[in-house]
Amino acid sequence: MIHLENVSKIYQTRYGTVKALNDVTFKVEAGEFVVVRGVSGCGKTTLLMTIAGMQRPSSGDVIVGGNSLYTMSIRGRALFRAQGIGFVFQMFHLVPYLNVIENVLLAGGAVGGTDTESQANRLLERLGLTDRTFHRPSELSAGEKQRTAIARALLNRPKIILADEPAGNLDPDNAAVVLGHLADFRRQGGTVIVVTHGTDADRFADRTIYMHDGRIDNFS
Amino acid sequence: MEIGLKKQRKSSMLTVALIFKEIAHRKINFVLGVLAVAMAVTLLVGFVITEKTSSRETARIMLNMGFNLRIIPKDTDMNKFLIDGFSDQTMPQEYLDILAGGQKGFSYNHLLATLHRKISWQGFDVILTGLATEVCPPGKERPPMSYEIEPGTVYIGYELATRLKLKKGDTIEIGEQSFTIAGCLSESGSADDIRIQSNIRDAQEITGLKGRINEIQAVDCLCFAPTDDPLTILREEIVSRLPEAKVFQAKKIAEVRKQQRIFVQKYFDIIVPFVIIICAAWVGILAMMNVRERRQEIGVMRALGYGSGKISLLFLGKAVVIGLLGAALGFVLGTVLAMTFGPYIFKLTAGNIKPVYGLLGWFMVAAPLFSAVCSLVPTMTAVTQDPVVTLREE
Repeated sequence: MIHLENVSKIYQTRYGTVKALNDVTFKVEAGEFVVVRGVSGCGKTTLLMTIAGMQRPSSGDVIVGGNSLYTMSIRGRALFRAQGIGFVFQMFHLVPYLNVIENVLLAGGAVGGTDTESQANRLLERLGLTDRTFHRPSELSAGEKQRTAIARALLNRPKIILADEPAGNLDPDNAAVVLGHLADFRRQGGTVIVVTHGTDADRFADRTIYMHDGRIDNFS
Repeated sequence: MEIGLKKQRKSSMLTVALIFKEIAHRKINFVLGVLAVAMAVTLLVGFVITEKTSSRETARIMLNMGFNLRIIPKDTDMNKFLIDGFSDQTMPQEYLDILAGGQKGFSYNHLLATLHRKISWQGFDVILTGLATEVCPPGKERPPMSYEIEPGTVYIGYELATRLKLKKGDTIEIGEQSFTIAGCLSESGSADDIRIQSNIRDAQEITGLKGRINEIQAVDCLCFAPTDDPLTILREEIVSRLPEAKVFQAKKIAEVRKQQRIFVQKYFDIIVPFVIIICAAWVGILAMMNVRERRQEIGVMRALGYGSGKISLLFLGKAVVIGLLGAALGFVLGTVLAMTFGPYIFKLTAGNIKPVYGLLGWFMVAAPLFSAVCSLVPTMTAVTQDPVVTLREE
């Protein structure tokens, strides 16, 4: 499903060269729930963005769903991402002027479709947000915001969900609920990669990968 | 497992809806943008209306004072002419057609035939002035220097209107004819205040001078012959065609008119670019602030697969809405301001200050375009910003 082959990402900063990813090679099979754990700045988010096709690596190949991502055009990569990948962020990144259902439907804007609205309503019901359908993000709790973000990530029926510290801003109860929804997605055949510095996601994971200074340390 | 690329279909949430929802959310940014465009349009509309009125005002003043060339009957007593301001003699009205039709030796920009007579009316000595339709060179339409008076209507001078309590729409009798008052002129402090202006045919009818005029005023006459003394050649050329006429030049007036034109043009040339630059910067800065405020939103949209085109459309679409609203608001404000304060400035032509509706259409196209151009750099910033960086920001 996801295959990274000798992927490196080097940034030039005013303080010198930073190797955010250092010759990373690993595979994630379809239907796996993988946790990538490491301290802040170890390259977890860079890894996630590289898999998403949003950050071109300095070297190496990224193959997702049989497609070599960085041989595709920017537009092709964007459409690929819209149709095949769902995102969940630590900071939720909901659009403040849209209500819950509109935020969910935003994901459909790049893809289109005939049943997006009914799919959005189904997702809100499944995630327990029906009574919040027309609420703005400012009127939601942190847990509700993250569940809205999950609904948005699931709208286009993606094959992969990439989650960057999805429980980072949540209390333990809400963290469990959110990670539980990601586990549900995995049970229905989806692939999940969660990057985190905490241990909350471990109990849902098939594998945990440790990162340190841009390198994969070991597998568990 | 393979992820196929489906063909993109219609968006489930329209771009237009996103634009208006964002506008409703960030009202201050939007209102300030509209105000910037409206301010530019207000000034430009006000300026155009004022400039038109200013030209009319000058034309009115020029009309009473004289034109570049004054062609009057040959036997005119110049002493009396200079005291009265018009000739006591007449010449045939066909002279106007002779001058207007294809002259080889000279050109002109405007020709206006008039008939002036002193008459007694309602116990007052008044000047009756008949105005013929202004003539421009064939195929060269120019803004008229005077106004056209419909037969059966008259314009009444300020003094007469005040003393006799006359107003627009009243019916009056002059000789055996009745006339509707088309307008009462503002105070001028000149002979205009005791003047009745009518169509030339009506004036000829009243005075019993059918087919006669006593002056042709000609503006911007040019002599084609290469000579050191163009005026002499011009005079000879005109007099050879109009044997009952003589010509003299109103030099100072021509210069005043030229100066006035240059002044108005200079004013326009300085003010307009200044206003446009200030408003462009204003709109551009607001758009840039909007882009900065929406960095994470843009990042999320990128992550969700939105392309540069759609993200550009969100910003340029908003700019177009700002432009349209600014144009409409600016047109109304500019027109209202010109019509409110114009009459205090242009006393003679106060009644002629009118909305220029053609400007609305023009600004409804130009202002959105202007606003979109001003938002171009911020829009480019929005589509080129790295979503990875913005999505990491807290």
